[in-house]
Amino acid sequence: MKKVFLEGAISPEFIADSIAKHQGKHSIGAHNIFLGQVRGDEVDGKKVESIDFTCYEDMANEKLHEIREAAFEKFDLTCMHIYHSLGNVKVGGICIFVFVSAPRRKQVYEATEWLVNQVKSEVPIFGKEIFENEESQWKVNS
Amino acid sequence: MIQVKYFGIIAEAAQCESENIAEENMTLSKVLSDLTSRHSLGEYNFQIAVNRKIVSNLSEQLLEDGDEIAFLPPFSGG
Repeated sequence: MKKVFLEGAISPEFIADSIAKHQGKHSIGAHNIFLGQVRGDEVDGKKVESIDFTCYEDMANEKLHEIREAAFEKFDLTCMHIYHSLGNVKVGGICIFVFVSAPRRKQVYEATEWLVNQVKSEVPIFGKEIFENEESQWKVNS
Repeated sequence: MIQVKYFGIIAEAAQCESENIAEENMTLSKVLSDLTSRHSLGEYNFQIAVNRKIVSNLSEQLLEDGDEIAFLPPFSGG
């Protein structure tokens, strides 16, 4: 089982380090990266300050494994990585990092979009938006 | 023993994240209807997973010792 869930925001250093780790894989000609950032939405005059993420970790890991297998079937990829935050991530923090590598570029664009959509719709992760006044509401994906 | 897990807004509403129930040899639909009414979850939107798989047809499936049921509100990762 590959590690997907990280506590708190995903740091720019972690992302840079992931890129560096692939420079020795010489069959790769194209990387594509998706980064999801916590947005400071305003709801009824209240501004979102952070999101608390929880998940059903056993089911999420099984589902992510299936998604990973399906992605390798569907696209000609050299490798792929998915990371998602758990716990609190403040506005401006990165909460999802999808990194896809392949010999050529067409596959990485398609695979990245497919993977992000799969994570959002199929993986049991739950976000609770915390407002500046400490009220909260459960996030609904749009 | 059957383990029941609640997530997100459902865990808040049930004021509980996990509980064990001794309901072997009962149907999934009966257990769900009991839990939904006991925790007043009727107004919420959720899916059910049994042993980490979403169950789309809440049928007369019999639960077995060691099964794990989860109440899952809409996913909002990413």
